Amino acid sequence: MPRSETLSLALSGISVSYPGLSAPVLDIPKLSIAAGSRVAITGASGSGKSTLINVLTGLERVRTGSIRWGGTDIVPLSERSRDRWRGTHVGLVMQDFHLFPGLSALDNILLPARLSRAVQSGDRERAMMLLEAVGLSRAGQKIETMSRGEMQRVAIARALLRKPGVLVADEPTASLDSDSGEAVARLLMDLSVSHDSTLIVVSHDPRLTGRLDRCITLAAGKISADVQRQEKAA
Amino acid sequence: MMRFILADLRRLWAGSLVVVLLIAFATALGVAVTLQERALRLGSARAADKFDLVIGAPGSETQLLLSSVFLQPSPLPLMPGDVLAKLAADPRVSWAAPVGFGDSFSGYPIVGTSSVLAGSLSTLAEGQVFSRAGEAVIGAAVSLPLGYAVKPTHGLAALGGETHTELSYRVTGRLAPTGTSWDRAILVPIQSVWSLHGMGAHEEEEPGHGHAGATTPGHDAHDHDHAHIDPAAPLDEAWTAASPGLPAILVKPKTIADAYKLRQDYRGNGTLAVFPGEVLTNLYATLGDAKRVLSAVAIGAQVLVAAAVLLVTVIHVGQRRRQIGALRAFGAPQTAVLLIVWLELFLLVALGILIGFAIGYGAARLLSGLFSGESGILLPVGFAREDLASVFAITVFAAGLALVPAFLAYRQSPAAALRA
Repeated sequence: MPRSETLSLALSGISVSYPGLSAPVLDIPKLSIAAGSRVAITGASGSGKSTLINVLTGLERVRTGSIRWGGTDIVPLSERSRDRWRGTHVGLVMQDFHLFPGLSALDNILLPARLSRAVQSGDRERAMMLLEAVGLSRAGQKIETMSRGEMQRVAIARALLRKPGVLVADEPTASLDSDSGEAVARLLMDLSVSHDSTLIVVSHDPRLTGRLDRCITLAAGKISADVQRQEKAA
Repeated sequence: MMRFILADLRRLWAGSLVVVLLIAFATALGVAVTLQERALRLGSARAADKFDLVIGAPGSETQLLLSSVFLQPSPLPLMPGDVLAKLAADPRVSWAAPVGFGDSFSGYPIVGTSSVLAGSLSTLAEGQVFSRAGEAVIGAAVSLPLGYAVKPTHGLAALGGETHTELSYRVTGRLAPTGTSWDRAILVPIQSVWSLHGMGAHEEEEPGHGHAGATTPGHDAHDHDHAHIDPAAPLDEAWTAASPGLPAILVKPKTIADAYKLRQDYRGNGTLAVFPGEVLTNLYATLGDAKRVLSAVAIGAQVLVAAAVLLVTVIHVGQRRRQIGALRAFGAPQTAVLLIVWLELFLLVALGILIGFAIGYGAARLLSGLFSGESGILLPVGFAREDLASVFAITVFAAGLALVPAFLAYRQSPAAALRA
């Protein structure tokens, strides 16, 4: 299966405002992320973390500025093109998993590809392999019968199906207990390394952020700190 | 995609079931009204088809038809007996059969007539046509065995009619089914009916004053001359001017031209000739008005249900915003989201329509069965080609309706949906 190349990010002049608010919720003049790096985004509630993630993944449209992933600026892309780009290049893991009850773990992993009519030969085998990689063996198990930790593992497997160039996780351990959170944090790190994906994680969980090699802190929609760690976590 | 949709519908089975049932019952209402009205038209037209021309005394054409063709127990004025003799001798007439009512047995109307009509209505399933004063032929739906002794009750027993003791008819034959009211009739010689009601050739009542042969059900002034009647007496069907008055004569003209001429000749001068089809057409116009009212009620119910379903689905889409946002976030294109929401609703609506047609058909069959059991008239319930157009129109409407929530989902920004 062809994979998306590991993507670097070059962002400039991004500002997001909502009606009724005097200040922009996100205002970032410049941000670069190297291909293959692992970046944590932290900040207080309402600091603009989720908005930044939405903007970076093309879920939220901006009218000005530039968000260049590899060679593609996603700002001028149409809704349809952004959907297609996101489906191909971005793996998303969310706090609430967003898995679909009534479907098995395997079907959940394959669903995005099926809905975008992008199922390729070997996808099923790859999904099975990913399930194994996240420590789940029952591919036919219905989602609603799984624990939250297992659900998040399925969500990670789903995010990796397309071998995305960038893996984005929004509070992936926030709703998990300590053991599950630790396991998911380790999985994300290991799999992003083994898949050679750029990893961007919004999290307050030190078990996770402590493993990453860069930490960007947001406050009131602006970057208040950008710390490069000396040692990469394995 | 279908797997996702079916899983979604299974998960939301209770709400889905309510939507399907609402649509099914609203559809069934309209379907039942349409099918029942059509069955009534067809059934009554087929039932009247056997009778080309009906002649009675001046009065209501509708009542003449209902009493003589559909055997509805209502009084009819009498016309002079010589009309029958004139018709019997008319070269334009193939046969003319008198009909006289007034008695019943076990809820079955006893109809006095001639052996000609008894032999012309249908073939005999068993036995033979009556040839003596005390014999009877029964319709296919009369559950009496051959040889059974029928003791006529004046009017309807349920309404307090008294039993005639002077004569009992012996069942000699059974007609094959006709799908008309005559399947529930007991056919006897009209001479016996006249005699039972004191209307022999020498004791005729004054024409225009209905009595025997035109009695009101439950009529209690039953004070005729009850002469002894010999059940073995052979029938004399040579009608003369001295024949008693009678409520109706069923006429089989030789040609269509003869039918029109006879109708012309017998409208006026103490008689009223009608084509059953002509009277039915007027009845259908009335029936059509009733159908329009019922259809308006059904359409009103359907519009209300459509509005309720639309409201429910719009709310449902609102509640599923995060799920829709997630689908988009994982790369599902807008068109896939539109298709999912549209298909989910359309499947429910289509299923509801399908079940509604089945329920409507079942209800119409049930009602027709009950009506047929009461009247003997076979009401054929069935779909026609024009129903396909209705199905198509309703389906297109449903498809359009389902587009509303689908477009709402389509237009949602995934980020806004995920924040919901």
